[in-house]
Amino acid sequence: MNDDDVQEKKATSRTALAFGITALASIGLAVTYARGGQEQIEGLLLAVALGGLGFGFVQVAKHLLPQGPYVEDREALPSSDEDQAAFAADFERGEGWLSRRGFLLKMLGLAGGAIGIAALFPIRSLGPNPGKSLFRTKWRRGSLVVDEQGEGVGVDTLDVGGALTVFPQGHLEVEDSQTILIRLSREDVVTRPGRESWGPEGYVGFSKVCTHAGCPVGLYQQQFKKLLCPCHQSTFSVPDGAQPVFGPATRSLPQLPLMVDEDGMLRAQSDYTEPVGPGFWDRGT
Amino acid sequence: MGMSGRLAVASLGGLLAAGLLAIGLHTAGATERQRSQAGNAERGQRLFLVGCAYCHGQNGEGTAQGPDLRRVGAAAADFQLSTGRMPNTAPDRQSVTKRSPYTRAEIDDLVAYVASLGPGPPIPDVHNPPGDLQEGGELYLDNCAACHSAAGNGGALSVGRDAPTLHGATPVEVAEAVRTGPGNMPVFGRGTFTPQQVNSIVRYVEYLKKPQDPGGLSLGLVGPITEGLVAILVGLGALMLITRWIEPPAMRQEPPAATAPEDQQ
Repeated sequence: MNDDDVQEKKATSRTALAFGITALASIGLAVTYARGGQEQIEGLLLAVALGGLGFGFVQVAKHLLPQGPYVEDREALPSSDEDQAAFAADFERGEGWLSRRGFLLKMLGLAGGAIGIAALFPIRSLGPNPGKSLFRTKWRRGSLVVDEQGEGVGVDTLDVGGALTVFPQGHLEVEDSQTILIRLSREDVVTRPGRESWGPEGYVGFSKVCTHAGCPVGLYQQQFKKLLCPCHQSTFSVPDGAQPVFGPATRSLPQLPLMVDEDGMLRAQSDYTEPVGPGFWDRGT
Repeated sequence: MGMSGRLAVASLGGLLAAGLLAIGLHTAGATERQRSQAGNAERGQRLFLVGCAYCHGQNGEGTAQGPDLRRVGAAAADFQLSTGRMPNTAPDRQSVTKRSPYTRAEIDDLVAYVASLGPGPPIPDVHNPPGDLQEGGELYLDNCAACHSAAGNGGALSVGRDAPTLHGATPVEVAEAVRTGPGNMPVFGRGTFTPQQVNSIVRYVEYLKKPQDPGGLSLGLVGPITEGLVAILVGLGALMLITRWIEPPAMRQEPPAATAPEDQQ
């Protein structure tokens, strides 16, 4: 027996062993799964099964198949004269066949046209025109401000320096209506001219939807009175009407006009006065 | 000594140990509850004048360097002092957790003095009423996770500040931070969370120190940084070694160099 025969025998037994291990691991995987499963063991058995298969294939390729390198000369590129003549003859024969089958061609045209028209219909599934829905949220005049548990928020809910995510009553979890409520002081707060009555008892509310890409602007830095968006680090200065001071956002967060009712509960004076969230095609300026 | 004698000694020892344990547990509970009363405000005032008054004023009224302490209460003082955030030699930078130069008794004295300056949140009792883990998880995700991360690992803020990891904080420190809003953290007062809700959050933060991990290795739960490192080093490294191993030995020879036609020169 020469050296190559010994090598081949060894490679054969290694391959057989690897395939055997694959078979055992596969049975083990099936049994583990059937007995209720355990993710880590299942993953390990799957890895062993596939690994055994791969190991076997590599053994076959490296030691049992004939070894190269082999060089195959490239064939001449132009077709022979006989091939060209045969192709021309076939082409002309096909043309004759087509001209004798006018009815089939018309039917093919009909089928193709119908498919094309049918393909136009799913355009409708792109959805209804959003219409006014992008311009409005669920906040209305008199909407009660509630927290994420649905509890009403009163003037005593937040301490100065506190922050809370709030919704209009009855519309918990409506993304475009989520509002970050912040208490800046004990006195009324005016962030901008024209918003004299919007910040009663130091409470200000801003849309929590970032004007850049729509992430929740939930990181309130109490000491600096800044709101930070976690996605792209847009930073908004709360006392200046959430004007952007850093990052990619270019528009201020819309401010929700707030008021305090006779029971000391916070309510909205109206919806936001501008569309919330990122820009869209017909938003205007 | 006979069998019964040894038995008697053993049971007596057991009784004694159980009694001592019960007394120990009782006093441990009592010290935690009464810590704010444990300190001596007069001794605290002397320490305050030496270590704190330069920034916070002779009577805690505050200066340009440090805030007014007359309405912060025992919780804020205990949090800042026992985590080592105070004393802070660089008030324009974020104060970080460090080893306090004060002993526990000195901290208690200082806390008693600051608490005597005016009303403010007391040191919360984190065991009574007991918290609910599920409620704590919901409140944590709604109110804390934005800055401290869903796993409690903390995260970056703006202006060079960060929200610290919660894994090193004791339950009392977590409750004090919730109530007082240290640094850039918002304040969550009694109107926002009931004592029970705070204790639920505290319980969830404790849970986050050793969370259930059905997915196997958590790699610190800090997201794509460690996971990407492992994927690149372990995953790509293994793939490269396997690729090298798959290649048949005959293919490792250098391909014959293309011979340039000599007439090009």
